[in-house]
Amino acid sequence: MLKKIQKKLTKKISKDIICSEENGAIKLEGEVNTWNKVYLSGKIAANSSYRGVINKLKVKNLNLPSISKPLLKDTKLQNKKVDVLIIGGGIIGCSIARELSKWKIKTLLVDKEYDLAVHTSSRNDGMIHPGIAPRPGSKKAIYNSRGNKMYTKLAKELDIEFNRTGSLILYDKWYLKFALPLLKIRAHENKVRMKFLNKKELKKREKYISAEIEGGVIFPDAGIVSPYKTTIAFGESAAINDVEFSLDTIVTNIITENNEIKYVETNRGKLYPKIVINAAGVFSDEIAEMAGDRFFTIHPRKGEIALLDKKKGHMLYSILSKPSLNFKSTTKGGGLVKTVEGNILAGPTAIEQPFKEDYTTTPEGLNAIINKHLKNIKGIRKTDIITYFSGIRASTYKEDFIIEKSQKINNLVHAAGIQSPGFASAPAIAEDISKITIDILKEKTRVVKKENWIPKRKKILTLKDMTFEERNKLIHKNPNYGEIICRCEEISKGEIIDAIHSPIPATTVDGIKKRVRAGMGRCQGGFCAPLVIKILNEELSKDILEITKKGKDSYMVVEETKRDDKNV
Amino acid sequence: MIKMYDVVVIGGGPAGLAAAVSAEKNGAKTLIIERENKIGGILKQCIHDGFGLLKFHEKLSGPEYAYRYIEMAKNIETLTSTFVTSVKKINDTFHFNLVTKDGLLKVTSKSLILSTGCRERTAKQIFIHGTRPAGVYTAGTAQYFVNIMGYLPGKKTVILGSGDIGLIMARRLTLEGAEVLGVYEAKSTPSGLQRNIAQCLDDFNIPLHLSKTVTKVLGTERVEGVIVSSLDETMKILPNTEEFIECDSLILSVGLIPENEVAESLNITLDPSTKGPYVDDFLMSVDSKGVFSCGNALHVNDLVDYVSESGEIAGKNAANYSKNFEKNSIKEKVSIKKGNNILYVVPQYVSKESKEFILYFRVNKVMKNKTVIIKDTENIIFKKKYLFLKPPEMEKIVLKINNPSQLKLEVI
Repeated sequence: MLKKIQKKLTKKISKDIICSEENGAIKLEGEVNTWNKVYLSGKIAANSSYRGVINKLKVKNLNLPSISKPLLKDTKLQNKKVDVLIIGGGIIGCSIARELSKWKIKTLLVDKEYDLAVHTSSRNDGMIHPGIAPRPGSKKAIYNSRGNKMYTKLAKELDIEFNRTGSLILYDKWYLKFALPLLKIRAHENKVRMKFLNKKELKKREKYISAEIEGGVIFPDAGIVSPYKTTIAFGESAAINDVEFSLDTIVTNIITENNEIKYVETNRGKLYPKIVINAAGVFSDEIAEMAGDRFFTIHPRKGEIALLDKKKGHMLYSILSKPSLNFKSTTKGGGLVKTVEGNILAGPTAIEQPFKEDYTTTPEGLNAIINKHLKNIKGIRKTDIITYFSGIRASTYKEDFIIEKSQKINNLVHAAGIQSPGFASAPAIAEDISKITIDILKEKTRVVKKENWIPKRKKILTLKDMTFEERNKLIHKNPNYGEIICRCEEISKGEIIDAIHSPIPATTVDGIKKRVRAGMGRCQGGFCAPLVIKILNEELSKDILEITKKGKDSYMVVEETKRDDKNV
Repeated sequence: MIKMYDVVVIGGGPAGLAAAVSAEKNGAKTLIIERENKIGGILKQCIHDGFGLLKFHEKLSGPEYAYRYIEMAKNIETLTSTFVTSVKKINDTFHFNLVTKDGLLKVTSKSLILSTGCRERTAKQIFIHGTRPAGVYTAGTAQYFVNIMGYLPGKKTVILGSGDIGLIMARRLTLEGAEVLGVYEAKSTPSGLQRNIAQCLDDFNIPLHLSKTVTKVLGTERVEGVIVSSLDETMKILPNTEEFIECDSLILSVGLIPENEVAESLNITLDPSTKGPYVDDFLMSVDSKGVFSCGNALHVNDLVDYVSESGEIAGKNAANYSKNFEKNSIKEKVSIKKGNNILYVVPQYVSKESKEFILYFRVNKVMKNKTVIIKDTENIIFKKKYLFLKPPEMEKIVLKINNPSQLKLEVI
């Protein structure tokens, strides 16, 4: 097997690639001249019976920036002993944290960022996929379909907006209808409900759909959540149930002895966990490597997303996508999504790139979104775009989830390689990871379920959605609810203060934005940013100069202006 | 008890204040609704001078100019820190839902004046790419930081766009000790007033780079620099002209967009060239009678004096409309067409019965020694020579008419 792949790589990519076997995976070493060659080599190696690819190929003259690290250094966590340490505060880490909070154990979640959901979990379309896309039998397929079903109950418990709008796959050429039986087979295998819609039926569901669309298929179980609000909701639910969160905390090393993690080094001290869960997203391969259990590689795949003015929100009800026939296109996937807040979102693209934290957007990416998706609805235009951003999928070369107890390190559990449909799958992944974790823990100590576990978590009040009476009553109780700070999204000072004092407090301008939407409207914070800074300054008793956009040294303002008293 | 007013004015900036003063003077029971905690609008943060030359024949600062109107309006009922959540028109009466610190409030009125001003175009709306660090602000936000809060948004700044606020901020930041590396303008001519180029840039040796724009922002936490590229005459980016400029902030003055979300909620269509409602010479919407528009919500003005002027017109006519509330019928109107080289004209319609009215227009390119004419069908009824015509400078004509049938404005 190894020889066969070596030969293929030599022939197709470069003769400078060296293959070997390590930890049950195939390892690639050497130097090539483009990132695309690194990626293609990984793909070739993945097409084998090895359980993963350790792609250590380097690109000539390419110096990647190092991972962004917290500036903080202290001893807050020094010598701390916990039962479970979760690395990563994205949707996976947070949903696992909530699942584990049902048990009488000490769980700590660490994340290197200033808030939860900073990376991939806040940079996607929030789609709860129906489960049609994954290869039947894959982990993606299994967890997607299980996770999707769980969202109905979870949305109630976590008090999150979840719209089961259904998703539509559209076609614009009559002959494409002959591909539909294949879709039906896939739907049957993955146990996904679907229904064919003709032009008339489509038009009835989506009034503004482009005239070129000939027909489509609906997957009624697809839905939409706000990805960051959902991640934060899972986190808050865990926090209410005594899971500890330590932000601005980066794992710098993992020390093992006799196939067991002994301790974990961070910028805030040495930690002694009984079990470590690797939910580190795009960095999960590096965490695995620190623990001496590397057998996969995350190849970052960027997706750019555009967000449209709410004014046009009424022109879409559900989720639309029109698969591209051009298989070379980098935007095969993606579509139009109606967010829970009522904006239309377009994208994402899919571009392989070397740097895991490269969130730049590009004119090419945005134009691809515009050209591919906007035309599917009549009456939306480039000028309706209010903002755009990008996210990075944590894809492995096997393109499937890794959800398992480490085969090598006894107290390490991987929840890695989670890309789309990761959001839909998260609750099911959390259930299984929690079960694996508790089973390991039970071998070490007595573990019992909590009797007083609180399933319900309350969201921050959204006053604009309330009835006249409810809203009036609240303002009379607390006049801050009657002071509108964000004019585009109609967010009051009271709601912003609530976000600052929530179970996982918002401490930055972006933290507020993600929780209550102040700054997410068409003026993009032009009017409210200074006011939000002032509220943060008052509520956190933090100097205005110390208020950041998104942690570290992302200060909003840099210096006081000249003052008379200074010159006296 | 739901209070009933003759005129409700949304927005207590220079347009709204002038409108309210003029409505009240014409006998209307008037209410001003302002979402900020003080009236005066954006003038509160415009501490530079140059306001009021036309109106008061003296040079005032923004707050001084606002104060004149605040004094005139002091007996007019005003709700500050009050936000309009919805306006509905039922049988020609307007019903407002308001949020205040004292609770929710409902009021009604016979007529409505929209003086909601404008917002600034953002980096994303002009399609700048790269990263999203702290330190990218619109000029108005930067001005708020400096003039209201007393903080600098950056110490080494690039300004994109030569609109007036951008020029004013270039000077302001320099005076406060920041280094302004340059003002970049995508067009081949400046967007701001000539006097601001001279007083804000030339006097402080701040370079103005024409036909150059920022294409990319760099930096993870704070801005670390920008990429600037040259543009050709058609505003296309010229390849291989990228230039890296190290800076810690990017201030944008790339255009203003009239805020007309309330108008749109009343099914009023907006003129794509002004981004404001289509109005007649009474500054009343042609789509919804009883709705008046003025100031920067109607179209972006260059001088506050014109903003106040349009407020006065709207206020007076809204008062008269309310007085004759039962008898108001739609007056027959003729349109004012834009001819050659005209970017926009306000109002877009004029009542057939009118004898005289004020017309504002902007041209779409810089021109020298040209004549502006207004035709009524084929007859030229107005003719004036201009030494210079520039898009940044709004022009005003007081036009006398007699039973017009079809007006057209053009440059020859």
